[in-house]
Amino acid sequence: MKTLPIYGQPPRAAGERPLWTSLDDLEAAARGPGGEFRHGAAEAPVALGRRSFMKLVGASAALAGLQACHPPREKIHPYVKHPPEGLPGQASHYATALSIDGYATGLVLTAVDGRPVKVEGNPAHPSSLGGVGVFEQAALLDLYDPGRAEGFRRRGGGLAFRTLLQEIAALSAAHAQDGGAALAFLLAPDASPLLADLRRRLQGRFPRARFRVWSPIAEDQAWEGARIAFGRALDATARLDRADVILALDADFLYGAGDALRLAREFARRREPGEAMNRLYVAEPALTVTGALADHRFRMRGSEVAGFARQVAGALGAVPAEAAMPPGREARAVAADLQRRRGRSLVLCGPRQPAAVHALCHAMNAALGNAGETLRYTAPVLGDARPDPRALADLAREIDAGSVRTLVVTAWNPVHAAPAGLDLGARLAKVENAIYLTLREDETSRRASWVLAASHPFESWGDGRARDGSVTLQQPLIAPLKESTTAVDLLAAFLGEGEKGAHEHLRALWKSRSGPDFELALARWLEQGLVPGSAEPAVSAPVKTEAVVAAARALPAAGPGMEIAFAPDYSVLDGRFAENAWLQELPDPVTKITWDNAASISPATARRLGLRNGQRVALSLPGRSLEAPVWIQPGHADEAVTLTLGYGRTAGGPVGKGVGVDAYRLRAADAPWFERGLSLAAAKGEHRFAVPQGSFSMEGRPIALDFTQEAWKRESHELDELRGAQPSLLQAVDYSKQENAWGMAIDLSKCVGCNACMVACQEENNVPVVGKVQVQKGRIMHWIRVDRYFQGPPEDPTVISQPLACVHCEVAPCEYVCPVNATVHSDEGLNEMVYNRCVGTRYCSNNCPYKVRRFNFLAWRGEVAPTEKMLVNPDVTVRARGVMEKCTYCVQRIERARIDARARGAKMGPVQTACQQACPAEAIVFGNLNDPRSRVSQAHRDPRRYDLLHTLGTRPRTAYLVRIRNPNPELG
Amino acid sequence: MSPPAAPAAAARQALEPPPLLPAGITDRQINDSLLDHVWNPKRGWLTLFAIALGGTGLLVMGLGVTLARGIGMWGNNVPVGWAYDIINFVWWIGIGHAGTLISAILLLFQQKWRTSINRFAEAMTIFAVIQAALFPLFHTGRPWFAVYWLFPYPSNLGIWPNFTSPLIWDVFAVSTYFTVSLLFWYLGLIPDLAALRDASTSRVQRIAYGIFALGWRGSARHWHHYRIGYLLLAGLSTPLVLSVHSIVSFDFAVSQLPGWHTTIFPPYFVAGAVFSGFAMVMTLMVPARKYLGFEHVVTERHLETMNKVMLVTGMMVSYGYLMEHFIAWYSGNPYEKFVILNRATGPYRWVYYAMIFCNVLVPQTFWWKRARTSIPWMFAAALLVNVGMWTERFIIIVTSLHRDFLPSSWGMYFPTWVDWSIFLGTLSFFSLLFLLFLRFVPAVAVTEVKELRHELAHEAHAGGGHR
Repeated sequence: MKTLPIYGQPPRAAGERPLWTSLDDLEAAARGPGGEFRHGAAEAPVALGRRSFMKLVGASAALAGLQACHPPREKIHPYVKHPPEGLPGQASHYATALSIDGYATGLVLTAVDGRPVKVEGNPAHPSSLGGVGVFEQAALLDLYDPGRAEGFRRRGGGLAFRTLLQEIAALSAAHAQDGGAALAFLLAPDASPLLADLRRRLQGRFPRARFRVWSPIAEDQAWEGARIAFGRALDATARLDRADVILALDADFLYGAGDALRLAREFARRREPGEAMNRLYVAEPALTVTGALADHRFRMRGSEVAGFARQVAGALGAVPAEAAMPPGREARAVAADLQRRRGRSLVLCGPRQPAAVHALCHAMNAALGNAGETLRYTAPVLGDARPDPRALADLAREIDAGSVRTLVVTAWNPVHAAPAGLDLGARLAKVENAIYLTLREDETSRRASWVLAASHPFESWGDGRARDGSVTLQQPLIAPLKESTTAVDLLAAFLGEGEKGAHEHLRALWKSRSGPDFELALARWLEQGLVPGSAEPAVSAPVKTEAVVAAARALPAAGPGMEIAFAPDYSVLDGRFAENAWLQELPDPVTKITWDNAASISPATARRLGLRNGQRVALSLPGRSLEAPVWIQPGHADEAVTLTLGYGRTAGGPVGKGVGVDAYRLRAADAPWFERGLSLAAAKGEHRFAVPQGSFSMEGRPIALDFTQEAWKRESHELDELRGAQPSLLQAVDYSKQENAWGMAIDLSKCVGCNACMVACQEENNVPVVGKVQVQKGRIMHWIRVDRYFQGPPEDPTVISQPLACVHCEVAPCEYVCPVNATVHSDEGLNEMVYNRCVGTRYCSNNCPYKVRRFNFLAWRGEVAPTEKMLVNPDVTVRARGVMEKCTYCVQRIERARIDARARGAKMGPVQTACQQACPAEAIVFGNLNDPRSRVSQAHRDPRRYDLLHTLGTRPRTAYLVRIRNPNPELG
Repeated sequence: MSPPAAPAAAARQALEPPPLLPAGITDRQINDSLLDHVWNPKRGWLTLFAIALGGTGLLVMGLGVTLARGIGMWGNNVPVGWAYDIINFVWWIGIGHAGTLISAILLLFQQKWRTSINRFAEAMTIFAVIQAALFPLFHTGRPWFAVYWLFPYPSNLGIWPNFTSPLIWDVFAVSTYFTVSLLFWYLGLIPDLAALRDASTSRVQRIAYGIFALGWRGSARHWHHYRIGYLLLAGLSTPLVLSVHSIVSFDFAVSQLPGWHTTIFPPYFVAGAVFSGFAMVMTLMVPARKYLGFEHVVTERHLETMNKVMLVTGMMVSYGYLMEHFIAWYSGNPYEKFVILNRATGPYRWVYYAMIFCNVLVPQTFWWKRARTSIPWMFAAALLVNVGMWTERFIIIVTSLHRDFLPSSWGMYFPTWVDWSIFLGTLSFFSLLFLLFLRFVPAVAVTEVKELRHELAHEAHAGGGHR
């Protein structure tokens, strides 16, 4: 029996001394297991009656039958005797990883009774540092999705796993005869060393087979830019902790998969007022999460960013004048600011920009002495598995030429995400053996002749590399819930080794790469979630200025006309999360739209074209057109439209199908991100968006406050009237004698508005999803929301986001109006909700000035699939219809900590709420206000602290810290 | 009267209000005409009853759907946690005010004109309170618990209701009001039920009315006790008129929501309640007196007096509006100011202007005697005031809730078909009960009218004229 190393419990080496409680115990252990059964296994439990016995027999028989459902791989044995970490109801934590588009983020999963229920970041992992993003967290919902693909089928006929392996082995033997001339692979980008090894071995067996890697949101321009600048593809990793001044050219580096969590943390740590505060310039077309945090945001169309980059490069003298452009006032000021912080500045370029702009950035960073300081260059972590934008076109050509008999697809849904005009679906149908490995049935699975269900990453063995190259072994938390297989098994099957299973492959590979004591090393890697010392070493490379100049000069000049820009979606990425209801219902961090995408335009463009919010428009490009609803987005570039990818699915499950519009139908192969020549015509009809935020204006009220660094020095006293005691006739309750007085502080200066807290809360607290119609009716259930306010001119607003959950007022307006005492105050200051007692008058919600209470208007859970029941956190009650609910400050975590402390006979240690733990920016701090050294107490004493709606005298336990902006005085 | 006094008498005649009862009417005539509708059901009663029964079906369906599926079948949401449910509750409770006011307060003030309409108004009160009482229960998410958890009972869990919550005060206020109103109405009915029993021609009727008449024989002893009991209940009811709607207003005034948190609410709500109650009495009385042939007991004088009350209470309500607006400005509280601005300029502004038109402008016509005595106009005005008072509650509840402190949580409320079904259903159920009342019980207090006739005759005899 294998025991997986538990996170936080270092494994013991072979020679380590065993633990024992008595001499008998020690002796017994030395003897080893005696008799046929271990002690206790042969005796019937005392309370086993006839009925229980029959139940157990019946269940055993039924469960024994289930064996046939799963591929015969590693077996998961029940414990004969429970190990101490396996007590029922006791959570255990395992380190694993999730790769999105090739880059792994280290995670720690919480499992209760063998079911993973919560995803946290792994603090030891360089891409997480303890934070976790929306995608990684929401992947858990995918795991339990009852609509996941199941089983294996070939041309409609089902296959057993063994048969499948045999069939593939036969197929592979046939292909091996001509060296794989008719064999092609279309793979998802992956930095996995195991997959790389398998590819290498496959290439050996099939020298003529083609391996192509493809993703609709690939960062190929970045590698191409590095190739121009350095002569070879390199990854550039930013070190924001060292950067004082950052210029982001269409780079939304604070959100998404890959490195965003680390960058958000490093960025946020430098956002406290003072000398160490960084400054961020952003030049971008649509308002992004990063743009919203900018100290200066330059609004321009996507094709104009290159010109701005050339201006800055010119002002910096990074490139000769012929590659540069005469700098404007803004570019000069930015360049001067960058120049002042040589070696501590940073120019970042987003993946959507053409390679020449990336090359220019490399030249600028080199000129600023940033390479090796704020920027680290490494060999590409994806290695040869870097996506190639030409992959699909090449593949189509080969299929047309009839030179592909077997095509193995592990890339996500190429039929849907292929560029417009490339009818991959029809071509795929022509391939004799189009083998598609997929988590879900989708547009591609309809056309593929073989459809193999993929196991979820939390169900399978594997490995992955972080953005900096660090390797994490991916370990399963649960046996596959559906009959399914993995990319490792599939590739191995082509080598005739499908029977071995991913675990054996993984062991074999890493055994060959490890030192002598492999078992212990493996256990440590699994426990920590990291293979130490596996990061890519930094390389230094000189910039080839002539090549950069040539590329920059070849950049097309920005011209007039409407421009369309495509962007990965904040909720569904490129569409692979379209079936994830948590993400669909997660408000877009910028627009706050749920369950939709929209054609975002600027207020000025809307005025010029006479368009209203929600009006449908026809977007036409030569040969392509699409109808989409308009969303007027403050801060958007004029004469441009931004459309996010991943919606408008025509196949798949009930969650994603038919939601939004399909931007891929408008996206050309040669212009994947920006294209000029768009015509926009009003069409019939009005679209109703589901936007949970009512208004984006603060109406002049002191709600989410911000100051500039300069103003803060003079005006910090203005906060005095927004904190401290209010005159009251009521005597305030004295909490100072309690051991704990729970409180929270949210630093608006650090919050990047990434929504990670919302998904964390949803996962931790069993918060239901209600669907688009109910969101439109104002019944969204999120316990914590991120409010986004705009200030200033609608064309160029400043943006501030404010996470808001129940603030646990000491004088809570909700409590005195409840007729049945269902919401009461704890002696540690929690505003508690007693679900059992609640009759649902909704008076508490009416009287809540923050409107953070959520009501179960309908039975939101309804009929729940058995797998979805496994998702539920057993520590948190699932609320019934007709009951009010709200943020509890994760009272279950507090109580868990209290119980653990009592069991140990110790004082309570620190407690983390789910939102706090997930927050990559460390903007949320929770803890004991009665402990003057706790971080939350310090935050409450911070000069930036204020209370939301302080004048009401509610004495909230959640304090806010004002946001400080750091604009460049030269730019006024 | 002597001929020389004729011009003076004529001049006085012009100032004198029209008589409360036609001259020369006898007890017998009163008895026959007022009990006639019980013995000889009017044409069309069955049709009206069928319509009301059908409409009540809407109520049953609306509540059934709500019980089966949840409050989500309504348009309520966060931030608008209360909407039609509480609007209807307050509206019906308000309507229920006229009955007690007419019966009790006017009795204590010895307003003789009340006798012709008090029975009618009391019945209306009881039926309106029944409608109102549906809402506090059914608006909860889990009425199966609310039905007894809101009452203080010695639970073995040791949990009591939260006595600081105005909703608990509501429970006491409404249940007390209903109980006292019912007793008051029933006590007043007893002599008339006895009269019906005595005049019954069928055995079933005699037994039925006999049971409800509680053995009334009309002895002096009975009358003595009856008078004392009636006066005591009137005294008990009087503070209730003021307390019930004050307490209902606490549901809002005690909260901290801008637009709700207002000290003027208790008197303003009471005035509004009387206003709407009188409007509802008018709405029902104007057609009913024609239908039942009561023009001789419910005279133009009665109608005009009631219109005057509407004018007065309408102006009190207008004063309440004025003060709300003034305080919003004078307090300097930006949230309060916003609420008022939002009412007048926000997405629900048309409801606001409907309210101002119906409640402020329409009653002003009653300054003119022509308007006060025009049957079609007073009926139309009463209907408009009913609508206006409903929109007032919509304005108070929905427009205050939908945009409160944090703009991020602002929202809109739109009623669903279930909301409408329940609202129309309560109107139907109210009509149903009222039609049953008109069918089986004397709609005018016969004994009191007869008594009044005697009093008037006595006064005329003694003083040479009526007051």
